[in-house]
Amino acid sequence: MSKQMLIDAYRGKRTASAPWVPYSGVHCAFLINEKADDFLKSPELMAKGIVHTAKQYKADGIPLLFDLSVEASSVGCELKWWEDNVPSVATHPCSEKTPEEAGLTIPTKNDGRWPTIFEAAKLAKPQLDDLDCAMMGLVCGPLTLASHLAGVRIFTDVYKNPEFAQAVLEYAGMVCEAAVGFYAEMGCEIIALVDPVASQIRDTTFREFVTPHCQPAIKAIHNANLTSSFFICGDCTKVMDEVCKLGTHGFAVDEQLNMNFIRDKAREYGLGFGGNLKLTLSLSLGLISPREDAIVSLAAGGSHGYTFSPG
Amino acid sequence: MAEDKIVVDVLTLDSVQCAACGYMMESMAAMPAEVQELIEYKEWSIKNKTGIGKFMELKGKVLPSIAIEGDIVFPSIIPQYEELIDEMVKRAKTPAVAEKLEAARETGFQFDKITENLKKAGCGQSTRSDS
Repeated sequence: MSKQMLIDAYRGKRTASAPWVPYSGVHCAFLINEKADDFLKSPELMAKGIVHTAKQYKADGIPLLFDLSVEASSVGCELKWWEDNVPSVATHPCSEKTPEEAGLTIPTKNDGRWPTIFEAAKLAKPQLDDLDCAMMGLVCGPLTLASHLAGVRIFTDVYKNPEFAQAVLEYAGMVCEAAVGFYAEMGCEIIALVDPVASQIRDTTFREFVTPHCQPAIKAIHNANLTSSFFICGDCTKVMDEVCKLGTHGFAVDEQLNMNFIRDKAREYGLGFGGNLKLTLSLSLGLISPREDAIVSLAAGGSHGYTFSPG
Repeated sequence: MAEDKIVVDVLTLDSVQCAACGYMMESMAAMPAEVQELIEYKEWSIKNKTGIGKFMELKGKVLPSIAIEGDIVFPSIIPQYEELIDEMVKRAKTPAVAEKLEAARETGFQFDKITENLKKAGCGQSTRSDS
């Protein structure tokens, strides 16, 4: 296990071998025989699950949690909890109003679920340090947070009502910046903006509505001398150049992209890259061999800025 | 009337776990009441066999995607309200349905019955490999 090797890869540097990150999320709960909702509500269970998973998978880094509802719930979105999954956002406070009109403020570390997460980090961090495993903070990205706040209308508003969309996204960007501050204070060495829905828009929309509102959070990560990344899901081919131009040290994608394509993009821009193991086709459905998938990914990724990780 | 309904299939990984999939589903669930009466939609999660079958049948290429009357219309693009209405109008089975949809073009998304509509569409109910 090597924290420094992971940081180097995330920053696009050459490494002795490809470091490895399991984006384990509520899988940590499964590994310690706990329900996802119980796990996410208990600092002790979270810390136990993360440390257990890091040890079991010999991880070079592990996310403290992978749950994109944290920021939304800290500013008033109601959640639906699941026993075997992350919570989903059930209400949208900005479906009819701007954040200002809805009276939304920037969350503090005492709001929503942040106290639970701070406590989990306090318990997990020294144990992860002993394992030489990086603790990673995953922040819900601005467009995904804007979707949580305003609902699906945000995808229409970026065209039909751009002033409203900008107001929601600007607020979302400030909440992301605050979340970065929390994860930095907890001791995370790597902080990533995770914006899965940013793959579901056109590149021009990404440039206008996502790029500017990622900047406060990216600046906050770099001002804290930490390592930054941007995680995106789905078929993000159309916005890949925009992702590379965001200003993070690297990016991660899911299994729907071709690994050679993203490796070449990362090299072109001098960035770290990761993801792409076939989580659904291989690990979930068993349609292709996990071993062969891993070999193909390792061969394509190489040891220049590549992190071996699921998509 | 039931046979005139426009069939919409939403191909997902899992609308609970995947935010993009969730908002694809919500784009249907937030359709106003007058449109809800004209459409029939369902989540097909690729985490189970029936979902994989639907993905193959519709010749899906990426997740999430929205298919209307068997055509993949929105592959990895969360549609605008008007785009959804327009694509449904093109595939309406009767002029009366097309006319009603066109009349709803200015209404916009409505969020008051999302939870109820998502439940009706099986959202999050069949996203396990053993479901």
